Amino acid sequence: MIEVHELEKNYGFARALKGISFTVARGEVVGFLGPNGAGKSTTMKILTGYLLPTAGRAAIDGLDVVEHSLAVRRRIGYLPESTPLYSEMRVDDYLRFCAEIRGVPPARLKSAIGRAVELCKLERVLGKNIVELSKGFRQRVGLAQAIVHEPEVLILDEPTSGLDPNQIVEVRKLIEHLGQAHTVILSTHYLQEVEKSCSRVIIVSQGLIVADDSRDRLVAALPSGALLARVRGPEALVLRQFSELLPCRSSAIARDGDVVQYRLEVGDTKAPVGESLARLVVKNNWELLELQREQATLEDVFRSLTLEASKEAMNA
Amino acid sequence: MHETAVILRRELKSYFLSPIAYVFGVLFLGLQCFFAGSSLLKQGQSASMQGFFGLLPLVFLFFMPALTMRLWAEERKSGTLELLMTFPVRIGQLIAGKFLAAMVFFAAVLLFTFGLPLTLGAYAALDWGPVVAAYAATLLMAAAYISVGMFWSSMFRDQIIALLVSLTTLVLLYLIGFPQFLEAITSALPAMLVDLLAGLSPYKYFESISRGVLDTRDFVYYLCFCGFFLYANALVLQARRHRG
Repeated sequence: MIEVHELEKNYGFARALKGISFTVARGEVVGFLGPNGAGKSTTMKILTGYLLPTAGRAAIDGLDVVEHSLAVRRRIGYLPESTPLYSEMRVDDYLRFCAEIRGVPPARLKSAIGRAVELCKLERVLGKNIVELSKGFRQRVGLAQAIVHEPEVLILDEPTSGLDPNQIVEVRKLIEHLGQAHTVILSTHYLQEVEKSCSRVIIVSQGLIVADDSRDRLVAALPSGALLARVRGPEALVLRQFSELLPCRSSAIARDGDVVQYRLEVGDTKAPVGESLARLVVKNNWELLELQREQATLEDVFRSLTLEASKEAMNA
Repeated sequence: MHETAVILRRELKSYFLSPIAYVFGVLFLGLQCFFAGSSLLKQGQSASMQGFFGLLPLVFLFFMPALTMRLWAEERKSGTLELLMTFPVRIGQLIAGKFLAAMVFFAAVLLFTFGLPLTLGAYAALDWGPVVAAYAATLLMAAAYISVGMFWSSMFRDQIIALLVSLTTLVLLYLIGFPQFLEAITSALPAMLVDLLAGLSPYKYFESISRGVLDTRDFVYYLCFCGFFLYANALVLQARRHRG
């Protein structure tokens, strides 16, 4: 559905995109993740035809975004960053304008607007001026605008930035719902958003893609380097013995009666630390109730990948 | 065509949703009627619209940029330009829609002044030829001024700057229509260049059309003038796609 090949964009001397390639299949919901200035918005602006790429190609539904710009724009619903709206307009007038300009035929206008209003729960504010709306409603109007013509592809640039936690949950639910019928690319700072609603994650940093995989595989690829062990035994003694056995930092992180959970930062070692740990516990006549490797979070993956990229960029 | 009409409708609505429509309408009509009245209500004055049209080019200098300053600058400032340029609409259609909206709005305001010649004609022998010609000249000049103001509006994010630069451009174009002014600033220039400059001023063509002399060259002039600035406007917007 979306193909991007070696896309580059320069703003003057600044290189915002240094050649990124990815494809998105029909029906996928892809999260675009990256620090500020990584190139997320630039990529989206090229896909939507607002900016022309310096080099490389991008196509939507097989149509080149430069050569067939109008045809591509007809297939896209776009919510730019910061949700620009005509604040002097009424919500219903605004949605009608967006539908008309995108060529929704007059006979279907009413049902198209009705559907977008229903999906985005805008019934209560239809007659209000946009300038009077809260941030959450503004965001929903922006989303309604993007889906009113039932586009095949939705491109949402930070759809939840600046919202309060309740509004974020609402907008996220809406995006999840939209993901069932549309191909969606969304960019975000909120890692949870990607965890919840995206089937795939693309992490960009310094104008390059540093990771492109499903959320689970990304997390699995990054071992957290720590063991979690729940042991019944005298805490001080257990800690001392642990640090004698393994040259690493250990700490007690939770207590439940005489059972203590310990976190051992064993690092990336290939040594069978688990086994020696179990033997130590048995030898001392303590009880080992649980032993597992700590799960990395997407946050860890994000930090490790984007920091790496920026270090490399500084060295280069 | 459809897209242009949709843009035109939205822009027109936006004029009437903002106070500018009413402030513009009231001030413009008030001022013009005052000028018309003060020249008519003299003893022995013949029935003509001289007072009304005489100062119109001058009044335009200040009023037209106020009408056009927001057309692009506001879209840039609020970010809606990005949305607009990702709609399946050609830049030419965007420009046409906005230009026509300003024209239609101004024509609507101008329509109100038509009561003046109607009243005059009812009580005195009014020569309708020059009146109709002057109205046509007014619309043409409005088109020229709107294209200048719209062009400058596309260059800036700030409406006030767009207003000031448009005003300066229009004042200069107005002044070079006067031989005395032209001589004063161009004494060192070759005569050919001075003639060329003199030929650029919309003021001259307004004068000649409103005298009732219909010369194709005057119309061609306005066509080229508007075409030049509207095309420059398109280039500015297109350049934004490259620059970002």
